[in-house]
This record gives sequence, C-alpha cells and structure tokens, in this order.
Amino acid sequence: MLFETWRYIGNNWAYIGRLTVEHLQIIAVANGSAVFFGVLIGIFVSGRGRERLAQLVMYLASIMITIPSLALYGFLMGILSALGLRSIGFLPVVIALTLYGLLPIIRNTYTAITEVDPAMIEAGRGMGMSELQILWKVKLPLAVPVIMAGLRQAVVMNIGIAAIGAYIGAGGLGQLIFRGIANWRPHLIVTGAIFVSLLSIAADLLLGRVEWLATPKGIRTRGRA
Amino acid sequence: MIKLEDVTKIYPDGTKAVDDVTLEIEKGEFCVLLGPSGCGKTTSLKMINRLISLSQGKIYVDGRDVYQMDVNQLRRSMGYAIQEIGLFPHMTVEQNVTTVPRLLGWSKARCRERTAELLDLVGLSPPETFMRRFPNELSGGQKQRVGVARCLGADPPILLMDEPFGAIDPITRERLQDEFLRIQDEIRKTIAFVTHDIHEAVKMGDTIALMRDGILVQHAPPAEMLAHPKDSFVEDFVGSDRALKALQLMRVRDVMDETPPKVRIDESLETARGRMQELGVNFLAVVNEDERFEGWVNRRVLRRSGEQVKDVMMRYTVTGRRDTPVNEALSLMLGSAIGNLGVVDRRDKLIGVVTFRSLSEAIQASYSEDEDPDEAHAERETAA
Repeated sequence: MLFETWRYIGNNWAYIGRLTVEHLQIIAVANGSAVFFGVLIGIFVSGRGRERLAQLVMYLASIMITIPSLALYGFLMGILSALGLRSIGFLPVVIALTLYGLLPIIRNTYTAITEVDPAMIEAGRGMGMSELQILWKVKLPLAVPVIMAGLRQAVVMNIGIAAIGAYIGAGGLGQLIFRGIANWRPHLIVTGAIFVSLLSIAADLLLGRVEWLATPKGIRTRGRA
Repeated sequence: MIKLEDVTKIYPDGTKAVDDVTLEIEKGEFCVLLGPSGCGKTTSLKMINRLISLSQGKIYVDGRDVYQMDVNQLRRSMGYAIQEIGLFPHMTVEQNVTTVPRLLGWSKARCRERTAELLDLVGLSPPETFMRRFPNELSGGQKQRVGVARCLGADPPILLMDEPFGAIDPITRERLQDEFLRIQDEIRKTIAFVTHDIHEAVKMGDTIALMRDGILVQHAPPAEMLAHPKDSFVEDFVGSDRALKALQLMRVRDVMDETPPKVRIDESLETARGRMQELGVNFLAVVNEDERFEGWVNRRVLRRSGEQVKDVMMRYTVTGRRDTPVNEALSLMLGSAIGNLGVVDRRDKLIGVVTFRSLSEAIQASYSEDEDPDEAHAERETAA
C-alpha cells in the first residue's frame, strides 16, 4: 500500500497541487475573516465594564468549537439556502471555519489586551494619549504576538477540519480522503492524510516565524525562532 | 501655578478619599505631598491631571480651571511620572522619551535632539548608546532615569510625580534624588511630588503638604514642619528624631566657627599649650604655612615629648566643606577621634571648625528664631 501511495503521488502531482491550493484558499479566507472579526470582537469586549459580555462571548465561542463540523455544515446549509445563497461548497465551509477560528483569536486578543500592565496604560493616559491612541500605540502592539499565536492555533486546527468540507463539495485535500473511502482505495486516504498533516506542520512552522517577526523587538523574549 | 480649592473626592461607595483640600503650589515650587498610605495624596495628585475626577471644588492651573481645558491637552502640558515607571516595552528609549513630543507633532529631528538633551540631563550618556535600547535592556535605575526624562519630554512647566523613585534600591534612590535636585536647580519646574517617605520629603521639598485621612494637615517648608509640627499627628509622622532630620536641612556654613583656634605646624608645643590656656579651649586645629589643614592637637597629645606641633599632632584628613549637610558633618564628627570637624575650601585651606558646642548652639538658635509666634503664624497662614 505504501508503494501504491508513493506511485499515486508521483503520478498525480498536478492534481494534488490543485487540491492543496483549494485547501489553502479555504483556510486563507476563513482565517482571514476570523482574524478580522475575532480581533474586532476581542477589542470590543475588552473595553471597560464589559467583563460579563466578554465571558458570554467566549462561552459562546467555546460552545461553537464543540459542535461537530458535519453538523455545523448541515446547519449552515439550511440557513444559507433559506437566505437564497449557495448552500454547498466553498461558502458554508468558509463560514464554519471562520466560526471555529474565532475562539482562539477572540480569547487571545482579549487576554493580551486586558493583561497589558496597567502602569503602562496609566502612564500613557497621564501623558495625554487618547483612548484610541492607547489602544493603537500601546495595547495592540503588545497584543500582536499573542493574537498571532491564536491565529496559528486556529489555522492548524482548521486545516484538519477543512478536509471534511470536501463532503459538501468545497474541494481541497479532503476530496482525496472521501474518494478513497467511497471507492475503497486506501492509498488515496493515506495520500490525503499525509498532505493535510504536511500542510498543518508547514503552516505551524511558517506562522511561528511570522509570530516572531510580528513581535515588537523590545518584547522578544527568545532569539530567532 | 497649581491651586486646589476646597477639593473633595467621594467615591461611589461613600469613601471620602480627599476632604476639602485647599492647596496652592507656587511657580517653581517643589511641593511634596506626604502622608501614610490611603491618606489621599495620590488621589489629590491624579485629580490635577484629571486621571481621577473630582467630586467638589476647583482645580486651577495657571489660573485656568482644569475642567475648562481639553483633557489630553491638559495632560500633555504636564509631565507625569509614576512609581511603576510604565515605560512602553515595545518602544525604544528615544520613542519612550518623546511620547509627548510625538503626540504634539514635533519633527523627527527635533525629537532626536530633545532625546539627546534629556538623556544627557538624567545622566544616561552618551545618549547615542541609550537611545536605541529597549527598556528590557536597562537596569532598574536606568529605567527610572528614562521615566524622569520622559516626564520632561516636551519641557512642561509642571511635573506631577507619584513616588517616582519608589521602586529602586536605597543607594540608587539616594543618587537619583541628588541628581533630580540638581536638575530641578537648573530647570525650576513647578512640581507636585507624592511620597510616603519623610526623609525623601525633607530632602526634596521646598514645601511639604502633609495629609491624613483625606485632610491636608499642614503645608509648610520642611524646616518649619520639623520645628513646629502643627499637631501630634504631624509630630508622630515626622518622627521623634525630627531634630536630627532638621540637620540635613542645615549646612556646615550655618553652624561652623569661622575663627577656629589654631596653631601652625612648626610652632612649639609651649606656644600651643599657651594658646589653649589663653583661649580656654581643649583643642587646636593645626595648619601649615599655607593655612592648609593638617590635623589636631589637644591637651593629651601636647603632654607627649617633642619640639614642634608636628611631632605630636594627630593627623586627620577627614574634612567637611561649607555646603556639607550638617547631618553628614555630625556623622563625620562622631567617627573622628577628636570629635570636631575641620572645614576647608577647595584648596584645603582651613576656613572653620564645627564642634559639638557650635552645632547645638546653632540648632538652638534656629529653633528660637522660628519661635517668634507672629512670624510662624503668618507663614502658616500663607501656606494654608
């Protein structure tokens, strides 16, 4: 079977490449929007007097993660078709992955911002920075590495979940796995699994590096990652 | 310059943190807000730049009600330094120091120039080596210096400082206090400075505003507060050793005897004994031909055998200067064999002597001078 897998990969480079690109597209769009909304929500709920809201939002986000992906896809398909939108393929999968990706990003944004040393915020305010300037010049730069760590977590997690998206026609590496199951061709399953894993590992390494680069120089605690 | 008028702060839970405080800080005055923790000193300070809102009363800066001003502009016009320093770890020393100038839109070149100037002023030189460093590359004392430089950033006429030297070891703190006094001598800012350390208050302040339970108990120059504590609380707070603390406010020039009994190093023992008899003293300072201070003789050493003073004298090289604080002089005297202190000028010429007697006479004189009830009363009036 190993030999078959090897031969299959050798003969189908272009096809696997295309599936990988599809997979990456889903991940990029989903996690891009997860970062966008997650950071906004995280900033919003970290505001003064919103502790209870923050707890609620993070509670909801953690419940979201416990919903099995197939159930979420099904659920979203229902909603999307009711709204008259394309209910299979790319869209529902991207929405589902965005929802999954929110938790680590909201949580990390919230934690990073609320844990900025209050002395620093007081110093900033006392010197005449507006709240927006404090957010933009003090809180966010300090939160960036933690937010990036959340993104990294979300991406690695979503690469696996995205494979299941092939079941509702979103394409990607999951397609290999589902074809392998449907036609009982184990080497297809193995190929799909291998590439999903490789993608996860690559993304993890790459984002680790990005995380380090995004960390402001003065707070880097270790050497070059 | 800064005026608090019947200022009261009541928190929503009913706590009165500051109770009807009226305080005026003159232009160029270094006013120390002093008191035990929870006395309202920090609250009072933070009401000046509106970090804490006031419940009643008015605060004026340069005659303008702070609540009539834009809050961020108000804050940018005052330096602000806190105990935790609160340097931004993701910014270089230069960026930290120019926080306010950059908010005010200064040009890059001007910011750089100002940073160099300030780092030099706070003793971080050469500035070029420190500018590009990050706070985590600095020692505690250096961070504190950057904190001071940052609060001077845009050259504000007013500084608000909340225990800015609180979080460092005593030796570094002592040095920073000295340097800050030197800086203040140069820049003459109006300063409100919070501390709970009476030593720091006495050392640094032109005036001390002592608070308890939100009430301003006494606002007076340190010497007056030490000599005339208004009530038993002030007396307790300044401590039973307040006479000793007052010593650090006096200089050797205030207490020294400027015509000390002395003998030249090459005069005979006979002459020395005669002079001692004649002047009715127990010691003579020994000087050389150029009036340079060499040491001491007393009755005991003059009983030894020898020809000239230099054969028997006690050579003693510890001396004071005119501007040595008297507490230091006292400590030198206690540590010396003779119990006196020779005062010399820059060329080691003897210009005076401090003895225990001259010391206690000077202290008593300063007390009775202040004792004039009208004058003391009038001073308190202006202070209040």
